[in-house]
Amino acid sequence: MLKIDHISKKFSGRQALFPLSLEVNSGEIFGMLGHNGAGKSTTFGISLGHVRPDTGEVLIGGFSVQKNRDRALGRVGAIFESPAFYNYLSGWRNLEMLVALTSRPDPARMRQVIELVGLTKRIDDPVSVYSHGMRQRLALAQALLPDPEFIILDEPSEGLDPEGIEEMRHLILRLREEHGLTVLLSSHLLSEVEQICDRVAILNQGQMIYCGAWKDEMDAATRFRFDLDDWPRAQGVFSNAGCGVADESNPVVVFPVGVDISDLIAALVHSGVRVRRVEPIKWSLEEFYLTRMRS
Amino acid sequence: MNLFFIQLRGEFIKLFSRKRTYIGFGVFVLIEIALVFLLNLEPVQRSLQKVISRSGYVAEDYLSGLTLALLVLVWSVFLLASLYLALVSGDLVSKEAEDGTLRMMLCRPVSRARILIIKAIACVIYTAVLVVFIGVTALVAGMLYGGTGGLFVFIPTERIFALYDFGTGLQRYALAIPCLALSLMTISALGFFFSCMNIKPAAATILTLSVFLMDMILKNIPYFEDIRGWFLTTKMNAWLAVFEYQVPWESMLADYTWLMAINASLFVVSWLVFEQRDFKS
Repeated sequence: MLKIDHISKKFSGRQALFPLSLEVNSGEIFGMLGHNGAGKSTTFGISLGHVRPDTGEVLIGGFSVQKNRDRALGRVGAIFESPAFYNYLSGWRNLEMLVALTSRPDPARMRQVIELVGLTKRIDDPVSVYSHGMRQRLALAQALLPDPEFIILDEPSEGLDPEGIEEMRHLILRLREEHGLTVLLSSHLLSEVEQICDRVAILNQGQMIYCGAWKDEMDAATRFRFDLDDWPRAQGVFSNAGCGVADESNPVVVFPVGVDISDLIAALVHSGVRVRRVEPIKWSLEEFYLTRMRS
Repeated sequence: MNLFFIQLRGEFIKLFSRKRTYIGFGVFVLIEIALVFLLNLEPVQRSLQKVISRSGYVAEDYLSGLTLALLVLVWSVFLLASLYLALVSGDLVSKEAEDGTLRMMLCRPVSRARILIIKAIACVIYTAVLVVFIGVTALVAGMLYGGTGGLFVFIPTERIFALYDFGTGLQRYALAIPCLALSLMTISALGFFFSCMNIKPAAATILTLSVFLMDMILKNIPYFEDIRGWFLTTKMNAWLAVFEYQVPWESMLADYTWLMAINASLFVVSWLVFEQRDFKS
């Protein structure tokens, strides 16, 4: 669905984005993580043609955003962090004007989408009286109006209360399940990303430091907490096997790829260490993210 | 309705839903009332009568609504309308870029050129509407106070002195309105041009007025008398020529061709800048 091919961007001499390539498959929910200024919004901006890349291009549905923007964005919806509307106009009028940029507004379709995002009762109120959550819903409505196949959501849960965050999460999952939407999103709420994204990319200072199905890595349970009788001796065994010790007070051992837990337990027993208990520890996305960022 | 007109209507809804759009209209109504009131004061009337009588005409025949309306146009519209046009045109693109609504628009598969063309057309129509509004309300206000009568034209800076009966005066006045609108399009084009740059709306307005006032100041320096014709504001004064007994159509056409060429060039540069700009949070 989305192919980002070697895009890079400099702003005022500062490299905001180093050459970046990634793909988002149809029906996937893909998360983009990173601190502020990591390059997420620049990537989104380039993907929507708001920002001109210095190199590379973005293809959506096989069409280049840079060369054939109209075709590429034909079935794309997007919302941004702190979505902006004409505050002095009603929600309905805002939607109508945004739709009219590309097609004749269809009131039936508009009502359907407004119902979907739960704004029916307030749609005729001026946007100036909307709460942040209502603005986010309106933003989502405008993103869904062109009946998109792919939506880009930049911080969709930003500023929402816990109920709003949960509703947004369910809505995104529902859109994928019922409408088969492909979603590219960014969020600082890692617990949210953890619950909905299939794959993530982590950006740091304009560079992608990770891209993949982090859930698979979690499931591989490459960390174990050991209950041992002789920790100093065990450390030598772990060190020989190339394992890292993450927390010495409550020993957690990080396994490199290729090390088998049974071989390691055998090695510990062989060296005279009594192993009382071994417990696999799953990664949370937050830990995964922070580990990647620190490394 | 054609999609283009739906989009244009949307642009007008935005434009006319904002209070600042009406400032120009409101201020002109106020200034018209003030001018007409002041022109009716006895010392002012005496001064006007003196100028007309000195030329051998009956002053009462020419102290009319048309004369009052023209005074409003000549003495206030150029500076004040420029201010409000700079305010509105300087806001058109930059305000939306600043607020983030432009990014919202650009999430749609709509070309930047189309967005810009619609805004430019809205800007042109707004300019025309403001000038027509000023012209009509000035005439109505003038008629209410001065009634019908001949048109007395005295514009020393352009060396124009003329007297017309009501019919001819009204024709000249009616012709002056679209010509004035055409002249003021250059202010709107300048405002629009700066609005497309990566600057704040206030900066776009200030830059527009700065260019306009700078041009006017330079034009009025006596040493530049021989090159006065080069200045933008000299060409923009072409509308006043419709009040000369023999309208100099050729020189007017030349001036307006220049102004239109400048406006078109400004639009092309605006478009090129707008196309290349990055829109980010």
